[in-house]
Amino acid sequence: MDSLHAIGFYVSATLSMGGALFVAFLPARGTRGIALAVAGLGLAGIALSLSAGFAAAVILVCYLAIAALLAGPQYRSFDPLTHAAWRQAGALGAAGLLALLAYAAYRGDFVHATFYGGAIGGSAVGRILFAHDAMASVAVAAMILVALVGASAAWRTRGRSR
Amino acid sequence: MAHPGPEPVTVGLVTVMFVAAALVAVGALAAAWRRDLTAALAGIPLMFGGAGVAFAGVARFSAAGGPELIGQEVAVLLAVAALALVALGVGIAGREGAR
Repeated sequence: MDSLHAIGFYVSATLSMGGALFVAFLPARGTRGIALAVAGLGLAGIALSLSAGFAAAVILVCYLAIAALLAGPQYRSFDPLTHAAWRQAGALGAAGLLALLAYAAYRGDFVHATFYGGAIGGSAVGRILFAHDAMASVAVAAMILVALVGASAAWRTRGRSR
Repeated sequence: MAHPGPEPVTVGLVTVMFVAAALVAVGALAAAWRRDLTAALAGIPLMFGGAGVAFAGVARFSAAGGPELIGQEVAVLLAVAALALVALGVGIAGREGAR
């Protein structure tokens, strides 16, 4: 990896981590949505610096849509009154997860290979998606269809009950 | 004698894995820390994004003996799955949540 890609990787990683931390701690949903969009921009930059241009484009579109969903007017808060101790236990669990994953990454004995793919890889990824792993693509498409139909049904039910 | 010059900036798989681990952990923190369940949903795409970074990193640096771009494919599928999950979650929370 040349220096330009490496600098892009580090800048994008900083963007995504900063956005993710703001998503975790910002109180207002509008600013949280902006932070999630920034995190998505960083994730797309990471993918682009890893020679995954097609994945970067898909990630950018998906995360912008997620940010719009979470910052949009259809957002309703849903508070099940969780006890503060459980939230603190969850935060400690996240810290433990970070330590475990970082240790696994540091101690991992990875195989090194030369990458011959292009910078974007759209046609190659498309061939894998629609020829090599067509069933996985169909399964994800079916899941998206079910999710969108479910979300539409939920929104329609809410609209009728008003 | 020529001056050797500075070392070039580079990235390895371990660095990518560290970033992926941090994203997964921050996503878990966001999901656990938020009192509002709809806001906690925002942690799930961050965790999926971290997993996608790990897959794309393995595809870039370490995909020996298999199709090179399979990790990129999984990263694409994870991003789309995160979008579907959040859409469904926001829809259900909108039905059940405070109006």
